[in-house]
Amino acid sequence: MSQWFVLYRKEWLELIRSGKLIWVPVVFILLGASQPIVSYMLPEIIAGAGNMPEGTVIELPTLTASGVMVQTLQQFGTLGLLIIALISMGTVSNERLSGTSAMILVKPVAYSSFVTAKWAAMLTITAISFGLGYGAGWYYTAALFGSVSLLAAAGSSLLFGLWLGFVGTVTILFSTLLRSAAAAAFSALGAAALLSIATTLLPKALAWSPGKLTELAAAQLMSGHASGLWPVVSITIISIIAALALAVWHLRQHPSIEAV
Amino acid sequence: MALLTVKGLTKSFESTQAVNSIGFTIHEGRCVALLGPNGAGKTTAIRMLTGLIAPTSGDIEFHGIGPGADRRSLIGFLPQVPAFYNWMTGREFLIYAGRLCGLSAKEAQTRSSELLERVGIASAAKRRIAGYSGGMKQRLGLAQALIHRPKLLILDEPVSALDPIGRREVMELLRSLKLETTVLFSTHVLHDAEELCDDVLIMRAGRIAVGGSIQDIRSEHRQPILSLEIEQDEHSRKWLQNWLKTPPAYVKTYSALSGGVRLVVDDVNAARRNLLAELVESDVRMTKLEIGHTTLEDLFMKAVTE
Ligand SMILES: Nc1ncnc2c1ncn2[C@@H]1O[C@H](COP(=O)(O)OP(=O)(O)O)[C@@H](O)[C@H]1O
Ligand SMILES: [Mg+2]
Repeated sequence: MSQWFVLYRKEWLELIRSGKLIWVPVVFILLGASQPIVSYMLPEIIAGAGNMPEGTVIELPTLTASGVMVQTLQQFGTLGLLIIALISMGTVSNERLSGTSAMILVKPVAYSSFVTAKWAAMLTITAISFGLGYGAGWYYTAALFGSVSLLAAAGSSLLFGLWLGFVGTVTILFSTLLRSAAAAAFSALGAAALLSIATTLLPKALAWSPGKLTELAAAQLMSGHASGLWPVVSITIISIIAALALAVWHLRQHPSIEAV
Repeated sequence: MALLTVKGLTKSFESTQAVNSIGFTIHEGRCVALLGPNGAGKTTAIRMLTGLIAPTSGDIEFHGIGPGADRRSLIGFLPQVPAFYNWMTGREFLIYAGRLCGLSAKEAQTRSSELLERVGIASAAKRRIAGYSGGMKQRLGLAQALIHRPKLLILDEPVSALDPIGRREVMELLRSLKLETTVLFSTHVLHDAEELCDDVLIMRAGRIAVGGSIQDIRSEHRQPILSLEIEQDEHSRKWLQNWLKTPPAYVKTYSALSGGVRLVVDDVNAARRNLLAELVESDVRMTKLEIGHTTLEDLFMKAVTE
């Protein structure tokens, strides 16, 4: 266990030294805060544009507080996901390419610890960034549109956070399987997009799909209740474990890139 | 006592057989050189010993470790091109390596200070590795391989990439290290092997051509040599040319020297008597006739070229 913490601490130190621990939360906070603020100011922005013909009436749908929060989640579902894929895409492949994984894995280090320490570091920075970003969104929504129940917000954040963690895990898996970091990010984001689309198109057949998590998070926000949640959560957690197991297995076969 | 026994170790890549059924034993306390030209399969063999690649077939057996024990804990390894986390300082990397090998925080710190001193980069210990020179990285690589006092130190071409001064310093370091632990290092330079090692394994095209203690190999493969030099007048040159067309039976092989010839012979006395007689009879203007023995270099050249 102490060896695992040594590995985790190194990942953590790397997040700090590379500045990721600063810029990723900052971007998430900007994403989270900007959605309610822009939504609030949109009517004024349009009116201020001033080149509307006289007498135009613009009908903007009235926004509810939970509606704004759902939009905020959508921001995290696109840009947020992209950032998580970007910071995780090279985590294993860069080490295999540079040869540092060979330096470390000739020591009596468990392959599973090597992977899960990276995974835990990814979860930590994701949780911090998303927590702060979503908190900022919640705060500005409450200030500008009215409050959203803390319970609904917390529940939805757990569901959405699980989705982010799932995509992060898939990125780490592809980072282990593929040589190119860019290909890993591309594959992980592609897989996430496919899963989401397939789940929307086939809601019955894919009622258990991790791609349903974003929908559940939105439902939790709107109604304080998400039905059919447990199969999705269980399947997601099982998929995460399976992805980690596959990554560990592959790394054991190929600890370094020259070792094709 | 045997530390490591390798039998029938083979590694094939799609197109090449990089290592072809090699076998050897490494005894505790010995310094062993894996010697061979580029592409001989040294790195591949070493990577199999360290567990970085799986053999296609064959056995690697470490003696004296319990069943289920991790053989990696016995090995300290310096790859041909060591890689580091460039954002760490040298000292941080050493402590990290030590902790991964199971040292306590305190042990890792004292051991790191000790080794930084020993490999001569103590003054750069607090600088980022990104700013290290090749020689400094090689030393840091050596230090991280030693951090857990391994029973077997495996070094892949530890001095090949260094300039002559760096090379000398690292060789001195190895000379003191081999007194403390068993060392296996690969090189393509015979001189490095001769200078440091007790045993040598000469590899060529994936096989071990010759292996054993340097002393034994020297005496086993030692052959008498006659070096003949002549004046460059017409008559003497012609004679030598003709003589070499049908050399007498005692000449096993020969190679040209500037202004003469170098003969590997079987019976040195017969050869000397015969050759001198012929030289006198044909009135050849000899300038030098020297009797000696083949060196390890002759053996190495023979092993790796034929
Ligand atoms: N990963 C690999 N894939 C294919 N061929 C390889 C690989 N690694 C080494 N080889 C080939 O195996 C042979 C031995 O290489 P190597 O072990 O690096 O030799 P050395 O270290 O003695 O120079 C070479 O012909 C090399 O091209
Ligand atoms: Mg090599």
